[in-house]
Amino acid sequence: MSGIGKVAANSRIRRSPVRFLCLLAVLLLATFFLAIFIGAKGPIGSDDIDEMRYSELFDAILDKDSERLSYSTTAIVWAFRIPRVLLAGLVGASLACAGTAMQAVFRNPMADPFIIGVSSGAAIGASSAGLIGLTVVVGSFTKPMLAFACAIVTVFFVYRMGTIRGKVQVETLLLSGVAVAAFLGAIVSFLMYSAGQQFHELLLWLLGSFAEPRWSYVWMMLFPALAGVIIIFLYGRELNALLLGEETAHNLGANPETLKKLMLAVAAFVTAGAVAFTGIIGFVGLIVPHMMRILVGADHRVLVPAATLFGASFLIWADSIARTILPGEELPVGVITAMCGGPFFLYLLRRSRTGSVIS
Amino acid sequence: MKLNVSDLSFSFDSSKVLKNISFETAEGEFLGLMGPNGSGKTTLLRCLTRYLPARAGAILVDMKPLHTMTDREVASTFAVVPQSSSTDFPFTAKDVVLMGRIPHMQSRLSSSRREDADKALAAMTVSGCAHLANRSFSELSGGERQRVVIARALAQEPKALLLDEPTVYLDISGQLEMMDLVAKLNREESLTIIAVLHDINLAARYCDRIALLNQGKLEVLGPPNDVLRPEVILTVYGVDVTVRKDPLTHDVFVMPRSPTVLSTKIGRRIHVLCGGGSGGPIMRALVDGGYSVSVGVLNVLDSDYESATDLRVPIIAEVPFAQISDDMHAENLKRIDETPIVVVTHFPVGPGNFRNLEAAMYALKAGKRVYILTGGGGARIDFVGGKADAFIGDLVDAGAVKIKSVTDMMHIIGE
Amino acid sequence: MDRMLAKKEFTVWITLTVVVSSVIAFTGGYMVGATTSGEDEGILLVDDYGRTIKLDKIPERIVSTAPTPTEILFAVGAGDLVVGVDEYSDYPAEVLNITKVGSYTLSTEVIISLQPDLIVSSDLVPIAQLELLEDNGIPFVVLATRSLDDVTKDIRLVGILTGHVEEANALADSLEARIEAVTEKTQAEGVVKPRVYLEYYPYWTYGPGSFGNDLIALAGGINIAENTTSEYPMVSSELVIAQDPEIIIYTIGYMTTTTAEEISLRPGWGEITAVAEGNILSMDDNLISRYGPRIVDGLEELAALLHPDLFS
Repeated sequence: MSGIGKVAANSRIRRSPVRFLCLLAVLLLATFFLAIFIGAKGPIGSDDIDEMRYSELFDAILDKDSERLSYSTTAIVWAFRIPRVLLAGLVGASLACAGTAMQAVFRNPMADPFIIGVSSGAAIGASSAGLIGLTVVVGSFTKPMLAFACAIVTVFFVYRMGTIRGKVQVETLLLSGVAVAAFLGAIVSFLMYSAGQQFHELLLWLLGSFAEPRWSYVWMMLFPALAGVIIIFLYGRELNALLLGEETAHNLGANPETLKKLMLAVAAFVTAGAVAFTGIIGFVGLIVPHMMRILVGADHRVLVPAATLFGASFLIWADSIARTILPGEELPVGVITAMCGGPFFLYLLRRSRTGSVIS
Repeated sequence: MKLNVSDLSFSFDSSKVLKNISFETAEGEFLGLMGPNGSGKTTLLRCLTRYLPARAGAILVDMKPLHTMTDREVASTFAVVPQSSSTDFPFTAKDVVLMGRIPHMQSRLSSSRREDADKALAAMTVSGCAHLANRSFSELSGGERQRVVIARALAQEPKALLLDEPTVYLDISGQLEMMDLVAKLNREESLTIIAVLHDINLAARYCDRIALLNQGKLEVLGPPNDVLRPEVILTVYGVDVTVRKDPLTHDVFVMPRSPTVLSTKIGRRIHVLCGGGSGGPIMRALVDGGYSVSVGVLNVLDSDYESATDLRVPIIAEVPFAQISDDMHAENLKRIDETPIVVVTHFPVGPGNFRNLEAAMYALKAGKRVYILTGGGGARIDFVGGKADAFIGDLVDAGAVKIKSVTDMMHIIGE
Repeated sequence: MDRMLAKKEFTVWITLTVVVSSVIAFTGGYMVGATTSGEDEGILLVDDYGRTIKLDKIPERIVSTAPTPTEILFAVGAGDLVVGVDEYSDYPAEVLNITKVGSYTLSTEVIISLQPDLIVSSDLVPIAQLELLEDNGIPFVVLATRSLDDVTKDIRLVGILTGHVEEANALADSLEARIEAVTEKTQAEGVVKPRVYLEYYPYWTYGPGSFGNDLIALAGGINIAENTTSEYPMVSSELVIAQDPEIIIYTIGYMTTTTAEEISLRPGWGEITAVAEGNILSMDDNLISRYGPRIVDGLEELAALLHPDLFS
């Protein structure tokens, strides 16, 4: 842990953080457009002989109702690829930003957005939705709604367990989160065991997937994600103070109780929203804040936007790989985030500790 | 800033930690908070910063009640320097100092970072850590970190600096640098300082006044000379100390003695004839050994007189620089009558105290055991032209026993 | 006092966030929720999920997303309409040359570019992906084949869907007759029903509500796992030994890792009647896990294994 504290403080990035943030924004924009060209039907990442051409795709992006293009081209671009890329970006941004906030609240670099039970609660919701067949009866919105509701209920329960006389005790909260996650995890395992025909659907959800990219999901996520990121960003100075201890935060005029509660609520809300639509995508919320902290330092006024922008790019890339690496099939995106993120993070960690990376 | 604290009480659950504390500080005062562990010093600071809510009583800052202030107002009144600061997260020293600007944040949206950065830099210059600005906070030494934290406190632009044992983790030069810096801020920035200090001598040297807390109560409050008296320290800390004045600065300083000084063993009575600093070690050894010691005629201001006072040994005293008077000599002989053993130290003998040797002869004649301590490394002790040496020879002839060292003396007396 | 304030500020934020996002959420939901549907005379049917499907005309390009619908489509003679199948469809052999469209996660892009006018799916495929395609103008029908009755019912349904009503009905009738022929013998009075342990993967078997369970019953056996709680339970050696099956059948398919020898060597299994008497048999996994017409082959084979005397 203390290794993360050793940072090349004189790096170029740290001296001009605004320029670095602009760079990340440009990267996200480029990622967004590039990812639209990636898919089973090409032009990038396809082994299909009658793949789409670049020019067709440009036309489709520019004109949604173009007469000259086949229906399938515009449908692929506008009904699948664009909402999918947007969704991946929103989820990546949400998880990375919420992870940053959680790590600050818990003053622990190993915290992630799921630490207070969001994912385990959502998993219960999603799996029971599948099991009792509600998805068939009520429609496909049942699962995200139930997952979201269960996530919020679980978080609230964990929060109550970790709150003593109105004060949030982060150590207790952390342990309650772990205990509740283990308990609910066992229930989910049992549900999966007895899931029968729904087993694969559940497994996919638990590993995280953007295989159902709907515009409605994008709209539903947009506001909570944006609001969450902005709130967390606006409290950046106070989060800095919190990292030096609750008493220090208090002495600097940042009420730690209010701050912890607000941050927990916002992070839980944003995370539950992301998880509800796309399942449990691990790793992003843990690793992206770390990567950015190694590059830009711990000042949350830089770190929060950096993690948000990079989290979005990171998950769009991961999803692009997930949907093209096996021809005609999709891997759960959670597999890719861990497989790509892990080694990259280790590389950054080693380089930053030996001091030869960002100088 | 003027601080009024009246009738302040605080309790954790059922145990009262602070009981009816009342005091005031003057503008620009350096107040030391002292007391044994658990006496409530840190709790008092936390009540001032409102980190802990006072249960009863009032705290007024420039006549404004503390509880009516916002968190940020409190933070721009009191800035706290804790014992030490650390974090696992990669903040630079400048990041840490900038945190001090939180109480002055205008709005979350407008950043006005220029002004904040300028003030942070100014604070770092004042506390002497501007050169550390881009260093990683967690890689700094303890002393450097405390300077950075002081800069953060200054960036808060507070009216008072609250320090909670700021020097405990520092070595001796770090402690002095730290305290000098705080004293400089007190003097030059006319910041009120309220510091919890463990080291009595640092407190005596730097504080205008010292508040001594004991079991949640304010025991004494006053200038160091008034507060740091052996009997006060004995009641509050339960430790026997010697209090002296630094001959150069006239600051008082305090030296602890063995805490086992108050032996319960009431032993045989021993009378000591000494002077000129020769009697300290033997008196100390005898007192520690549990004997009931008295000491023969000493002039007030004699260093043995001070030693005896510290040891609470009954003294037959003569006025300063005077010869031993008939009255005091008689008193001395009377005490010898009550005592089976008399010890004569290697003291300088002059016309003024020659009678102490005569008292030894009196003792021999009365059948008492008399021991002569000859240690002292051959310093000349005879200021009466050989008369003293001759007299000591007579004493030996009359049955007095010469002993070389305090240790041997203790062995022989103990048999 | 500031705690009150802090609490208030906190509450306001939360309320605001919840209210605004739910408003957005609901309007968002309706914006895309509306879908197309034809109004002309055409095909109107209810699938196994109870969904009503209206088609303007008989489909000309069909994508099948699971082996069971694929096999049914081909069996009713509609194989030439199939333009895409899932990764697992491998029967009949013509299927191997048809474009693949994914498995549990569908490759939506490939499906869209095939421009099908109907998707026939099974209950193994997550419905949300199908709904998304339906929103983009490709209707789907779900076959949730859970019993032998469902098989013939789904065959007739696919017949209607593809305009091969007569062939489908003829096929369904003949299947029903064959089932009847088997059960007539196996369910006859005086037939001794052996206890059966049917394993598709070491220690994994068919529980109540599963197809395998029904097949054993119809073939004239007693499933030793019929009182377990899950459809596809993992059983303990203890249960198997305690139930003492007279016949053990393991299936041979792509998951197969076992042999009759391995089964007989499992600790404690030597005492089991089936093992002692050498009644460890095998059959083709596809015949009991694909719920198309071939399932009746499976029933016949299973019945012959359980009652060699009745089906010689």
